[in-house]
Order: sequence, then structure tokens, then C-alpha cells
Amino acid sequence: MSDIGPALSPETLLARIARAERAALAALFESEAGRLLAIARRIVRRSDLAEEVVQETFVAIWQRAGQFDPARGSARGWLTTMVRNRALNLLRDGGRLEFHDITTLEAMQGREQDAVLAFQTLPDKEGLKHCLGQLDEPKRRAVLLTYVVGMSNGEVAERLDVPLGTAKSWIRRGIAALQECLR
Amino acid sequence: MSAAFDEQVGDYVLGMLDGAELAAFEVALERDPELAGRVEALRGRMQALDDTVVPAPVPSALWGRIEAELQPAAVAVARRAPLRQQSWLLAASIVIAAGIGFVAGQQFGQPPRPVVIAVLVSDDAIPGAIVEAFANNSVHIVPLEAFDVPSGKVLEVWTKPNEEIGPVSLGRFARSEEIVLDGATLPLPQAGQLYEITLEDAPGSPTGKPTGPILVKGLARSPI
Repeated sequence: MSDIGPALSPETLLARIARAERAALAALFESEAGRLLAIARRIVRRSDLAEEVVQETFVAIWQRAGQFDPARGSARGWLTTMVRNRALNLLRDGGRLEFHDITTLEAMQGREQDAVLAFQTLPDKEGLKHCLGQLDEPKRRAVLLTYVVGMSNGEVAERLDVPLGTAKSWIRRGIAALQECLR
Repeated sequence: MSAAFDEQVGDYVLGMLDGAELAAFEVALERDPELAGRVEALRGRMQALDDTVVPAPVPSALWGRIEAELQPAAVAVARRAPLRQQSWLLAASIVIAAGIGFVAGQQFGQPPRPVVIAVLVSDDAIPGAIVEAFANNSVHIVPLEAFDVPSGKVLEVWTKPNEEIGPVSLGRFARSEEIVLDGATLPLPQAGQLYEITLEDAPGSPTGKPTGPILVKGLARSPI
């Protein structure tokens, strides 16, 4: 790991990983694993499952770093997407998560807290914070619960105590208004 | 860019699409750079939310577990990287090559023409396998990716002929290798029908429905 210092950008590291430099993967792990673990944890709610998601992601990075196209987005964003996709799949498709783990009242409250905290923690200069702030409160909550912690439409409906159709329509209208505002 | 897909950009980035809708959207993403640009733009903005996390402590054993899974084969995969960036074209050319193989050689003793062909892609839109489904219910699987199959697990192939029937198992296989499965007695496959491969506990899904993670999925098309 001698020639790979912490100063290299994730973009540079991915290019080296694509050339099968294991030290570059180790350096990327060093700088990104903590952040990615925390993102996965917000969605799957369990440290062991979050570790599994991050493990799968780094194995996939090793195999697919050559697929990363800097013209399409940042390297960190690419990593975030990979982790989110795997975490959401685990949540949605898995017979793995025991149902009561994430649907107890306490777990649902924890998920909601995480979602709201993410919004509050956004830097004020961040355009997304302004645009989320423009949404009326139920739509903002619906979007945050869906995106940040990966709640299903049904869970959002339950959490906001509205019919499923209403929750869906709030999420759809919320994200549409966000896209408009962010343009 | 089709207006229908454009309207789904938000749903997609929020992770609300699933099943056939998701597979169709991902195929469109591969083909339509403008649509892909919109997805990337919104994704990039929404990720500010992900980045509000406080990084978690990293268990010391985690890197070791990752390192143990790195195959030497990854070198060869990585060297092919520039080609793989055009993965869709690559997959398409393999479909054509496979088609020619059938016409020329009939090496698997199947009827010469599949009724439908599906290119199955991963979460990251990388083509991972091709499924050809024949009128006699058999399916021919050509993996494009060396799936990691831990011991005690198998790869299981599924299709969903329609919502009423739901997902039906077409068979299982243990390794990433070209294989012909007997399939299941089902209506003739249609263009647009969903195919997917999941990782299941051996000898196969205990419930008869997919329970493990989806490795790749895609919608069938009919050969021209």
C-alpha cells in the first residue's frame, strides 16, 4: 500500500482499481467504508446487514471499476448508488430481514428520526435543503422517509396515518416539485 | 426520450419502481443518454441527504472479508474494462453471436429459434446473463458475469408470465456456466415478460417463490 496516500481522489483510485491494483481498493475502503456503512445502516437498520452490503459493494467495485464513467457523475456518487441499491434490495426482496426488526414502533420511530435528521443536517447552502423546505410538511416527510431510510409506500402511509393512495400521491408530487425546484 | 419514462425519473431515484416497471426503466436508461443524464442529475442532488451521515466505525475484520472474496480473475475482467463500458453493445453482439450459433450449430439440440431472448442486467445496469426461452419450455442461460455462488447456495432462474401467475421457477444451477434448463410448463413466453436470477439456499427456494437477492433481471424481447 506504499504508494497510495489518502490524498488521491476516489476517481483516481477507481481508475487504478480498474487496473487491478489492490492497494487502490484498500485506500478507497479506508476513505469511504465508514460513510457507506452508515448509509447502508440507515436503510437496513442492522450493523451486520450493513456490513454485508458494504462487503458486496467493494467486491463489485473490484470487478466493475472499469464501468465507472466520470462523465456521468462523481465517483463517490457512484459508490453511494451501489450501496443504496444493494441495501434497498435487501430490504425489499429479502426474506432475510425479520419483519419485526424494522416494523416495530420503536424501529419505525428510529427510521423517521434518521430521515428528519438528514434533512436538518443538510448544509444551508445546499439547494436541496431550500427545495425540500419549500414542500409542505407531509410531502417533505413522505419524500424523506422514502429516500433516506427506504420506507415502502405502505410504511409511509402507516407512518403518516393516511391511505396508501394519498401517501403515493404525496411522494410523487413531492419529488416532482423537488425536481422542478432543483432545475 | 419518452414522456412516460421521464415521469418515472423521480420514482426511480426514490427506489419506488420494482418488477417489470423497474426492468423496463433500466433498459430505457441504457439506451437513452438524455434519460440517464436526468437520473444522474437528480441522484447527485438527492445524495446530499446520504452524505449527512456520520461515518460509522469500520470493524477491523471487514476488509479481510472483502479481500478474501477478491478473485484473481478480476484482473482479466478489469483489463476488459474499456470494452465493458459499452456493455449494452457487447451484450447485443453476444445475443447476435448466440443466435448465429443456434442457426449454424444447434449444438444444444434445441429448436433453432428461441421464442424470446432477455438480457438480464444487475442493479448497476451491467448485463450479467442472457436467457433464451424456447417453445418447448426449456431455457438456455448464457452467463456474462461470473456470479459469486457461496457454498450452500444456488442460482435460480425465474420468470413472471403475468401478475396472476406470479414468479415461477425455471430451474437452478450451481455455477456461472452456460446451461439448458427444462423450465416449467407455462404459456408461451411473451415479449416484455420478466426474467430474473436470484441467489437461493441450496437446493432452491424453499417457498417456490424468489426469497434471495436478485442478481440480474430483464425483460424479454422477441428475435426479429
